Amino acid sequence: MRRREFIKKAGLATAGAFAIPYILPSGRLFAASGIRKVNHVVFCMFAGGVRNMESVDKALGNLMPHMLLGNESISTDIAAALAASPLPNLNLGYNLQTKGTIFKEFRYKSGPTGHFNGHTTAITGAYTTADLNIKDHPHTPTIFEFYRKHNSPAQTARKCWWVSNALGPYPALNFSSYAGYGAQFGANFIAPTYMFSNQGYNSIGTLKTFTSAEEASVNNMRTFMNHNFNKSFVDGDAGVTNIEADAAELQTWINSMFSQYQGGAFNNPWGAGSSMNNDMMNIFFAEKIIDQFAPELMVVNMQDVDVAHFNFTDYAVNLHKADFAVAHLWNKIQSTPGMMNDTVMIIAPEHGRNLTGNSSIDQNGRAALDHTAALDELSGDQMAREIFCQVLGPSNIVQQGQVISGTAGESIDVAAAIANLLGFDTQVPSGLLRDFNATGIQQAFL
Amino acid sequence: MRSIRLFFFVIAFAGLQSSCKKDYVYEVDDVTVSQPGGSKDNVKTTTEFISIVYSDLFNTIIPTDTLLYVQQAYEAFGDKKLIEDRIVRHFLNSTSVQIPSDATMRANVPLFVDETIQKFFNRKPDAFENYFISNIISNATTITPMMVYYACMTSNEYRYY
Repeated sequence: MRRREFIKKAGLATAGAFAIPYILPSGRLFAASGIRKVNHVVFCMFAGGVRNMESVDKALGNLMPHMLLGNESISTDIAAALAASPLPNLNLGYNLQTKGTIFKEFRYKSGPTGHFNGHTTAITGAYTTADLNIKDHPHTPTIFEFYRKHNSPAQTARKCWWVSNALGPYPALNFSSYAGYGAQFGANFIAPTYMFSNQGYNSIGTLKTFTSAEEASVNNMRTFMNHNFNKSFVDGDAGVTNIEADAAELQTWINSMFSQYQGGAFNNPWGAGSSMNNDMMNIFFAEKIIDQFAPELMVVNMQDVDVAHFNFTDYAVNLHKADFAVAHLWNKIQSTPGMMNDTVMIIAPEHGRNLTGNSSIDQNGRAALDHTAALDELSGDQMAREIFCQVLGPSNIVQQGQVISGTAGESIDVAAAIANLLGFDTQVPSGLLRDFNATGIQQAFL
Repeated sequence: MRSIRLFFFVIAFAGLQSSCKKDYVYEVDDVTVSQPGGSKDNVKTTTEFISIVYSDLFNTIIPTDTLLYVQQAYEAFGDKKLIEDRIVRHFLNSTSVQIPSDATMRANVPLFVDETIQKFFNRKPDAFENYFISNIISNATTITPMMVYYACMTSNEYRYY
């Protein structure tokens, strides 16, 4: 081969390698424009309103022994309450703090410190500056819609989940009303503790079954009826619509979950007995979703610490349980083929709590705590804006064992980080998400 | 020369024909064509949907606690079409469900179709609808009244009023 010809061919080969899509070691094909850092992101909203004092600042001792290093002894009255609600030993063999970065002074900078506002901000990556209507979808796109619209190759809702511990306004967070986005790009939503319950079983648990030939006849009639009617019940009113194959898988999975529920498999799944609270159950069901669907993007929340409005000691106990649940979830991810060593998990409360207690005094003489920082960013107790954030992930992606003590990072950074980790942040139209490189949270990553 | 003569003959004959043509006016009124159920613009609310499914299948008003629990299950999942399918099939699985027998349906299929469309869509079926659905039922002995009910209750029109 002549020198000139060799150089020409080598140049073409190099250009081709950059231009054509390529296959990562995971076997996944990507468009060259979207470079992923990992293939899965789990955002665990340590929600309900958590004050830094009792969490990362350990004012009562280390109430979060799985997520935070340290043996600070726990106040006697709180220790007695924890002993009355014991948890099994996880035997992780490591502390989560060594697996990533913790921001001790993260901020929920703007907007009223309400649970729904806080959730909306975290899920959309945009502060909510106006009062929100209950059951109104967010006015700006959610991270689910960004993922489903801009990720390449496009994924169905099967790979994208919003797992909520509560109903009320929370089902509305799986997609927005923003033009160009909406239900067609939304996530599958589930409130599993409501669905897989006695009431759920008695409402949708036992189904009339039809043979495949009977199903075909029903489809034939239904298709005719639908052709005869000029409207369809889809998108928006019908929520997220799964494609036929995914819907069939979901139906089978739901049937299997109800069978397990009836068989008692959900009675004491973690061996925690009566200590198992709603947060822990929600994380347990999120793990079931991981087993079946290995989501690329999952947001799951907990909110039992919000008992702090009425009982401070119970708040401390639920903080301790939420720490256990987070560790259990991380352990599940690290033992799931396809997700282990290929997942980043981000943990953050939606907002904090007040410095000053309210008038409810618990059995230990401790005052309960509200969260009252208001929309104007001046009135109310501004301590409710102070939160923490922990980022866990593979050592080649996430800084390991890093503690950032100064003020850095804010709630709206999380969505920007998710978009960057999954490789579609550059595809999102300007102004809808923060520039990842301008965020505080980027300090967590290599 | 002969072909030129033939050409003029054809032209003259055509002109004669057209001058003798009579314009007929058929006195038929204008008809606006519309789809069955085309006037339904409103989507039923969740509460309306669940209540109507229940009363259509059990011929009685849904008990308050049943409505509350079904509504909760409905809200607990994001794909509403999927969950509505489960609600309908769950009710169909009940032994208390009120559905005509197969013998009743087959004794007069067009009448059954007429009554079923009226029941679920609150209108009479048009002739083609009745013919098409009756034909499907008549041509397959495996089709049961429950299957026809299931098809109607999971169709788009059932979700509107």
